[in-house]
Amino acid sequence: MSRQRIPLITELPLVVWLVLVWGALWQDFGVGNLAFGAILAYVVVNFFYLPPVELTGRFNVLWLIPFLGRFFLKLVTASAEVFWLALTRGSRLRNAVVAVTLRSHSDFLVTATGHAISLIPGSLVLEVDRSTSTLYLHCLNVASADDAAAIRRDVRATEAWLIRIMGSRDDLAALRAEGVRR
Amino acid sequence: MLTVLIAMFALALVAPVLFSRLGRSAFFVLAAAPAAAFVWLLVELPGVLAADQAAPNGAPGAPPSLVIPWIPSLQLELAFRLDALAAVLCILILGVGALVLFYCARYFKNDDPDVGAFGAQLLAFAAAMFGLVLADDLILMFIFWELTTILSYLLIGYSRHRLSARRSALQALIITTFGGLAMLVGLVMLGQEAGTYRLSEILADADALAARGTLVDVAIALVLVGAVTKSALVPFHFWLPAAMAAPTPVSAYLHAAAMVKAGVFLVARFAPGFSETAFWHPVIFVLGMATMLLGGWRALRQFDLKLVLAYGTVSQLGFLTMVVGLGGRDGAVAGLGLLLAHGFFKATLFLVVGIIDHQAGTRDLRVLSGVGATSPVLFAVALVAAGSMGGVPPLLGFVAKESVFEAFAHRAEDGAAGTLLLGGIVVGSVLTFAYSARFVWGAFALKHGGPRTAFPRVRTSFLLAPAVLAVASVVFGVWPGPLDALVQPYAALFASDDAAPHLALWHGFGLPLLLSGVTLAAGGALYLLRRPFEQFQERLPSMREAEVVYRSVIGVLDDVAVWITGRTQRGSLAFYLFVILATAVVTPLTALIIFDAPLPTSFRIAQSPAQVVVVGAIIVGIIAALRSNKRFMAVLMVGITGYGMAAVFALHGAPDLALTQMLVETIVLVAFVLALRSLPARLWNRAESRHRLLRAVLGIAFGGIMAVIAMSAMASRNAAPISLAYPQMAYDDGGGANAVNVLLVDIRAWDTFGEITVLALAATGIASLIFIRGRSDHRRRADGVEDGSVDRGQELLDARGRSGAALALAARFADVPRDPWLVAGRTLAPERRSIVFEVVTRLIFHTMIVLSIYLLVAGHNLPGGGFAGGLTAGIALAIRYLAGGRFELAEASPVSAGALLGAGLAIVSLTAAAPLLLGGAVLESYILEFWLPVFGDVKFVTSTIFDIGVYIIVVGLVLDVLRSLGSEIDERSEADDPVEEDAGADALVPPATEGVRP
Repeated sequence: MSRQRIPLITELPLVVWLVLVWGALWQDFGVGNLAFGAILAYVVVNFFYLPPVELTGRFNVLWLIPFLGRFFLKLVTASAEVFWLALTRGSRLRNAVVAVTLRSHSDFLVTATGHAISLIPGSLVLEVDRSTSTLYLHCLNVASADDAAAIRRDVRATEAWLIRIMGSRDDLAALRAEGVRR
Repeated sequence: MLTVLIAMFALALVAPVLFSRLGRSAFFVLAAAPAAAFVWLLVELPGVLAADQAAPNGAPGAPPSLVIPWIPSLQLELAFRLDALAAVLCILILGVGALVLFYCARYFKNDDPDVGAFGAQLLAFAAAMFGLVLADDLILMFIFWELTTILSYLLIGYSRHRLSARRSALQALIITTFGGLAMLVGLVMLGQEAGTYRLSEILADADALAARGTLVDVAIALVLVGAVTKSALVPFHFWLPAAMAAPTPVSAYLHAAAMVKAGVFLVARFAPGFSETAFWHPVIFVLGMATMLLGGWRALRQFDLKLVLAYGTVSQLGFLTMVVGLGGRDGAVAGLGLLLAHGFFKATLFLVVGIIDHQAGTRDLRVLSGVGATSPVLFAVALVAAGSMGGVPPLLGFVAKESVFEAFAHRAEDGAAGTLLLGGIVVGSVLTFAYSARFVWGAFALKHGGPRTAFPRVRTSFLLAPAVLAVASVVFGVWPGPLDALVQPYAALFASDDAAPHLALWHGFGLPLLLSGVTLAAGGALYLLRRPFEQFQERLPSMREAEVVYRSVIGVLDDVAVWITGRTQRGSLAFYLFVILATAVVTPLTALIIFDAPLPTSFRIAQSPAQVVVVGAIIVGIIAALRSNKRFMAVLMVGITGYGMAAVFALHGAPDLALTQMLVETIVLVAFVLALRSLPARLWNRAESRHRLLRAVLGIAFGGIMAVIAMSAMASRNAAPISLAYPQMAYDDGGGANAVNVLLVDIRAWDTFGEITVLALAATGIASLIFIRGRSDHRRRADGVEDGSVDRGQELLDARGRSGAALALAARFADVPRDPWLVAGRTLAPERRSIVFEVVTRLIFHTMIVLSIYLLVAGHNLPGGGFAGGLTAGIALAIRYLAGGRFELAEASPVSAGALLGAGLAIVSLTAAAPLLLGGAVLESYILEFWLPVFGDVKFVTSTIFDIGVYIIVVGLVLDVLRSLGSEIDERSEADDPVEEDAGADALVPPATEGVRP
């Protein structure tokens, strides 16, 4: 596998991101600082070669804000729940490994979904089947098949949010088709 | 003077290059250096001899001198002075040196190994001897003295594949170094007592010094110990015959003309002025006489021609020391005359033996036969030299010996001791004549009953060097005028009313001539009776030789060392820690009690509730680490204490410290986990309960004593801390608002410089311990590495059972032809891959690098700095390695670890030294303020460059740790049989099962 030249347009989001990080670190978004940051980012990206990231080209901020609201709400409630379970049930708790098949076959989206789930206390990604986009989760307090089904629904809902925010157009179309069928 | 010296050393440095171009003919080029120096000496000589030898440096009429201050605070100077004594020695060193190097060009073969290094060492040796005799500073002289010792070690050990050569070289090194160290003590005592280390000033002031009594007496005796070991006098004589393992030109030069003469030179140097001190004459006469007789006695029973000469040299060195150390003008003239004569004839004889060895392949005088008839010129040369050695008129040896007899006959008039000395010298000379004759007979005579030795014709260029020296023995014997002129100025240094005698062929009838006649007659008789004499020697009970004593001393030393090492370095980590910690408890405790150190009177438990929480977490971590029975768990728990410390620093208002501590803790954790993979998972060796109690007590005591020290240190303060001025200094002089960083790179940059040097060394040390075959800094690429081939089979999975199925499943999970996220992720075995990890690594790697650069640049004013930045970049690399395996690491680091460490050190050193060129001090920093378009006003402090060096070194260090503890161990365990007995699978942290954790 030889190194392919990365077209500037593919690299641009990364460079822009790095320049923003640079400005944020200095807390200075003046022209001079950003120009220096741009030079630096370009040098860093070219000196430390990594394969190009093919983004979908979409990013919907309108969906992002309610998603973050939902995420933080779940974060807080799940934390309280785990705290309560640890106090009341302790080691008598019944746990399970749950397989969840995702819609998207994008590594990026799978990773994002996995992170969103893992960051919420009580569930943790153990393993990823890359070929079928299946996440294997370790979840607290799963007593029945209904509990597992609830978790699957929840994970797929999280994925749906993420597809709406930054999924590819194909994934989005599939999601909409699914909604129509229901 | 300095030019000549430097030119010789410089030529020695480039000598190996010459040899690779010219082969053995490069010796001709090397010989040109001392030859040119010899010409320079001849030009200088009239001025040197006409000078007033006692005049201080720089005075009108003083010999040429040169003084360059070196380390003024130690009174150390590069002081050189070419007086008459130095000139006499220089004639031997440069003249014989040039001839010996010339001779080497035919002695060695083109394909002899390491001949380039040998040539360089021999020339460097000549230069060192030259420096030794010129040095006018005691310490400078000692430096050259030790230089000759080390070079002679290398030269004697030239045949390094032979055990005897190595052992002889080491023996010579140990003995002469021992003497050298004794001499150093003597020189320092002398220098301190005199208030100057300038040799010429000390000698000018010698009478007053010698009158001071015991201290100076002892100092001079110690200096004599140096001379005695270097000149191989009894009881240290045995290293010289053993050193004959050296190639013959080395023997001719070091052991006849130059190095062993260093001891005689030292005696001659101190004789005018110090020959009346208490220990001088006893040491010189007793050891000199014993050496002369012992050497002559031994020489008569050797069968190896070279050993005959070696023992002869021992004998002559004893003789020389006595004459030179005699004191008085007659002794001086006779001593230097004999010194020159010995240099000429002994070098000739050694070179002759070299030719015989080279042509006939043997040096055994029982085997050689008829060489004299085959090679008459060689025979004539040897005959002249041996005749000079035996004191046959009209050769130079005779002339010198006549004046020696005269000088000692003069002493014999004073009393019995003088008569005894004279008698001893006559006996020694008789022995000398006998072994000289035996040497000529053994080398050249046609022996009955044996075949003639095959002896190819000797090339003229090979024979030239000894022939020139033999001619010198004849010419200066018949016409000693020039030599007399050479030695007279030195003799004038001795305060005496008597006129100095002269070197002359004809002294008139008198006691000396009579003694010469007696010597020749008795020596001839002894030669004729050599068979009965050999038998007589064999019948005597053999004495315990000094060499045996030396060997048993060294043997006992070795045994003691082994015993002590066995008792202390027994390989138990627990024992080492116990000793170290116990010392760390007892020593400060004793100091605290003895000095009655104050303790604070008031205490505050905590400054904020947060501190209590953090310290509580640390304590929990400690207890968990102690109670865990798995290494991995213990390491994680120790990590908690480390992060807890970072939090304590942060709470205390030390963001730099907290940041660095956190980064270091992270790197350490990674390194720990990587290293743990090659250890069993469980901590098996639990201590017995008795030991556990002891360890607990020690641990608590250590913690307690540290706390007490900290408290006592705070309570002991009675002055304002120096650090109060730091922030202002940092801002005004260092140009930075972050006092911690400016402290590191500017105010106390010397400390940092030392620390990062140690860091680079440590990294190199780790790498060299693990990469046994070298640093292996060559770059490896992932191209051409088969997919899924790396880190396979470390999990000890059984191919048939459940785990085999798991392995197959893992392979299926990861096996998807999709766009890569990392360069070398695909090379990793499927069960070790984690797509989540790869994606995250891809997304955050560049951001971390930008963050690390920000920390580096911002550090001058905000928390951060080169160290923190370097660690951040190192963590970014560690993530690449963990996610993508060792080829990913190789792809992520376009520059090798060794190159990074070297470049970092180079940047730091250059930044440190650059201000010198601008007229500043080392490590001085400058603030540059300028205006650029777009960027506006820019303020750049040069110490940032220093910080960049630190950054690069730290990155190199982390890379080295990852490469050695990570990549290299991966590779080894792949190469080994995967099913190992003890390797614990659960110590491994396979990224594939780790996933992401909140």
